[in-house]
Amino acid sequence: MSHKEITVTVNGRKRTVSVEVRRTLADFLREDLGLTATHLGCEHGVCGACTVVVDGHTERSCTQLAVQADGREITTVEGLAGSDGTLHPVQQALRDNHSFQCGFCTPGFVMSIYGMCEEKKAGRPVPCSREEIREELSGNICRCTGYQSIVDGAEAALASTGAEAALAGTGSDNTGGQA
Amino acid sequence: MAGGSAISGLVGARVHRKEDRTILTGTGRYIDDVQERGMLHCHFLRSTVAHGRIVSIDATEAREVEGVVRVFTGADMSAITEDLSFAQPIPGLHSPSYPAIAHDIVRFVGEPVAMVVAESRYIAEDAAGLIEIDIDPLEPVMSTTAGLAEDAPEIFGDVVPGNVVHTDEQLFGDIEAAFSQADHVVEQSLDQHRWACNPMETRGGVATYETGSGQLTYEASTQTTHTLRFLLAGWVRQPIHQFRVTANNIGGGFGLKFSAYREDVAVCAAAKAIGGCVKWVEDRNEHLVAAGAAREEQLTLTAAVKADGTLLGLRVTMKLDAGAYPINPPSTVYAGLVRTTLPGPYRLPAYHFQHHIVATNKASYISLRGPWAVETLVRERLMDKIAETCGISPVEVRNRNLITLDDQPTKMITNVTLENVTAAETFQKLVELVDLDAIKREQEAARAEGRLLGFGVGTFIEPAPGTQEFWAAVGFPFGSEPCRIRIEIDGKVTAFTPQTPHGQSHETTLSQLIADELGVGFDDIRIVYGDTDATPFSMLGTGGSRAATMASGAVVYGSRELKNRVLDIASHILEASVEDLQIADGIVSVKGAPGASVPMAQIAMGCWLAPDQMPPGTNTEMEFVANYDGEGGGFSQASHACWIEVDQDTGKIAIKRFLVVEDCGKMINPAVVEGQVIGGIAMGVGGMLLEHSAYADDGQYLTATFMDYLMPSAPELPEIEIEHLEFESDKVVGSRGVGEGGTVLAPAALLNAIDDALAQVGRPRITETPITPTRMLELLGVIEKE
Repeated sequence: MSHKEITVTVNGRKRTVSVEVRRTLADFLREDLGLTATHLGCEHGVCGACTVVVDGHTERSCTQLAVQADGREITTVEGLAGSDGTLHPVQQALRDNHSFQCGFCTPGFVMSIYGMCEEKKAGRPVPCSREEIREELSGNICRCTGYQSIVDGAEAALASTGAEAALAGTGSDNTGGQA
Repeated sequence: MAGGSAISGLVGARVHRKEDRTILTGTGRYIDDVQERGMLHCHFLRSTVAHGRIVSIDATEAREVEGVVRVFTGADMSAITEDLSFAQPIPGLHSPSYPAIAHDIVRFVGEPVAMVVAESRYIAEDAAGLIEIDIDPLEPVMSTTAGLAEDAPEIFGDVVPGNVVHTDEQLFGDIEAAFSQADHVVEQSLDQHRWACNPMETRGGVATYETGSGQLTYEASTQTTHTLRFLLAGWVRQPIHQFRVTANNIGGGFGLKFSAYREDVAVCAAAKAIGGCVKWVEDRNEHLVAAGAAREEQLTLTAAVKADGTLLGLRVTMKLDAGAYPINPPSTVYAGLVRTTLPGPYRLPAYHFQHHIVATNKASYISLRGPWAVETLVRERLMDKIAETCGISPVEVRNRNLITLDDQPTKMITNVTLENVTAAETFQKLVELVDLDAIKREQEAARAEGRLLGFGVGTFIEPAPGTQEFWAAVGFPFGSEPCRIRIEIDGKVTAFTPQTPHGQSHETTLSQLIADELGVGFDDIRIVYGDTDATPFSMLGTGGSRAATMASGAVVYGSRELKNRVLDIASHILEASVEDLQIADGIVSVKGAPGASVPMAQIAMGCWLAPDQMPPGTNTEMEFVANYDGEGGGFSQASHACWIEVDQDTGKIAIKRFLVVEDCGKMINPAVVEGQVIGGIAMGVGGMLLEHSAYADDGQYLTATFMDYLMPSAPELPEIEIEHLEFESDKVVGSRGVGEGGTVLAPAALLNAIDDALAQVGRPRITETPITPTRMLELLGVIEKE
């Protein structure tokens, strides 16, 4: 099988590795780098469990190849919490709202919601109403919860992101209606 | 024992889950996260023919692929394993045994026909594609009707005569008299489609065989480690004392992971044969095709009723499409559950129930969250039809037939005692919260604008966990629940439960109970599960909505026993009577004299290290196995109301509002209860509106991806409103299960709402599911039925 050398930055750490060209990004992260937080629920791009952030955008890692990530920057769930175990505000908001049950879909939702919060920090429009949050999360499937608690958590995460940005004076809180 | 659990703070509170830190940081160990040294990967080649005879199979080319370690055909596998058999001494049950990998006849699309073990999953799949297999097709049986036909091919030959796995009829009361007194005879039938559990984590396991010691370890995504162990041990010829089954994080189960499967057998046998470690994780395509599905049942109900809507008698016939191969539990359990539960919370003087369980060329019929659910679906739809026939409202017909608390204790016609059942009270509360006149006015106003609204209700009781009598009527053992609890040398607590939680939050709820009972900190408690080397035996693991009552009871009784031992020792040390002592934050002290105290850690250390120096006559064992019998068990109950709007151009059904009044007794953690209720409803809604595990007439499987098998996503589901009643029983453990009920009752309220909408435009009732947009347009008469 043919291999190609790629350089990727994963959770802030730059790595140069040789990968089989047909290897998916998800398998590369999980098996070659041992970053098993990124889960595989369908391997055909529907369920969203494998969602990661690539160069600032949420993407499926199951339907792209590792070689496509050459030169790009990837954030997985492993990259969110502090090294002392402090949860990222998105993770904390989801915990406070009892958002999840079995936990299998969870990393995908965490990354999707983290992605929304990053959008908000960057001053781009993000969903305001619960209906809009539901639409935004329609690319992630959860079988346990019925989504209501996840929407609660996403709403809280977005609200706290707005507050942080306003305090820091770095983001534009132009979306409103988050409380 | 009146007054229930000692509730000192955590029980009843929305305590943060212990599980969340792990799952939110992605540090769990789901089955595909397991990476052992030298681990091999496997892939199953599966039949593309629904029914046929294997003429030849040639794996020569596959075996030559670099990286392939072993290829097992059916013959290879059968040489090292026993056939799977779920036969039980149940009169009239025809339960065929079958090999882990087919070597003669294939009976459904997706049946394993070969297994490739290789250095990577990629290589295993490549090699599987090189296996040449020739299958001579036979005529498939693709429905219960086809299976029962006179000239139907018998798919298991004379092992299952006429394809009838089991048939039985039972009569309760004087059914002839009931019908002779009837003012109306009301008939209602429903043909329910197949739909599936579809946990986000598929099935899988990692088997490791140590050639030196002869030990086999199987780490699995399972709901029941102990049952998996004793079933697999025989089939893979592994002495059970040399066999350990473990489970860590489990990505959902919903009933599917209660059984042992042929792939489990093959993976364990392969690890033994190779002398190493083999991982199997099925992909979603395999899962949809081969893991099995549920709910494919056809029921016809004929009710004898008085003019005022009072039920006099009920005749029920049920056909269950069992698919090809039996799994655990035997399908008679499903029929028994439906039969026993169907009268529900209503007075029913006479009852006749007949069932046929039919083998077909499909993947197995499996347990799905409330496997008896069709009883509530058809009964609650029947109640609405009785109301319509008698010219009374759906609320009135229920009020006239519901058993209230004042009527109890009483016996269901199926010989099950009802006590403390509050279905009528939840229904009363639901009706109080709903303005029925306003709903009528809104519907009329909507129709004037060309819009179509519908409203439906339903109520039910749920055996969560049920009672001894209930399970005896079903034909399944009830069983007590053990828990081993240990006060560690530093005063912290470890509890070993046979539960195998996979989303139900048992690490949290059991810790809440222990914290309150023992007076130790919530964070000073660890719940150990999923290890047959460590946890006490239970046949059930997590299933049957048992944990809220049974696992809770085991930890409460176990905690109390250890607390008594600690207090007895402390009473000697502090020279105070036991009655004057209390434990808080791990410190035993004299009430009202905080200076007189001794840490539990000190007592525990003494007991573990120097028991002979502890006060004479005290029990210094700091570990205890409690067995909880359920104190007679009990039922949960709920009532649902559903508001919908039908788009008459597209057939799309939007749920505008959904209201639940539930009573699962004392809530240990309301956030967990609400999560279970809402998640359950979501599954019921998905099953009725979107999901379909569909076959073509030739037996091909049609919905093999999530683009064909539609799972509900966030926008399809409503915000669900929940009102809790907490009936206070006089039991020590007054908590009842709540995980399955949402999935059981929601389809009834939803279909009643759709029928209400159809009635407003003069269209007939639903007779088959799912109610996809296309089906809805057919029901509305917009398009012709295919």
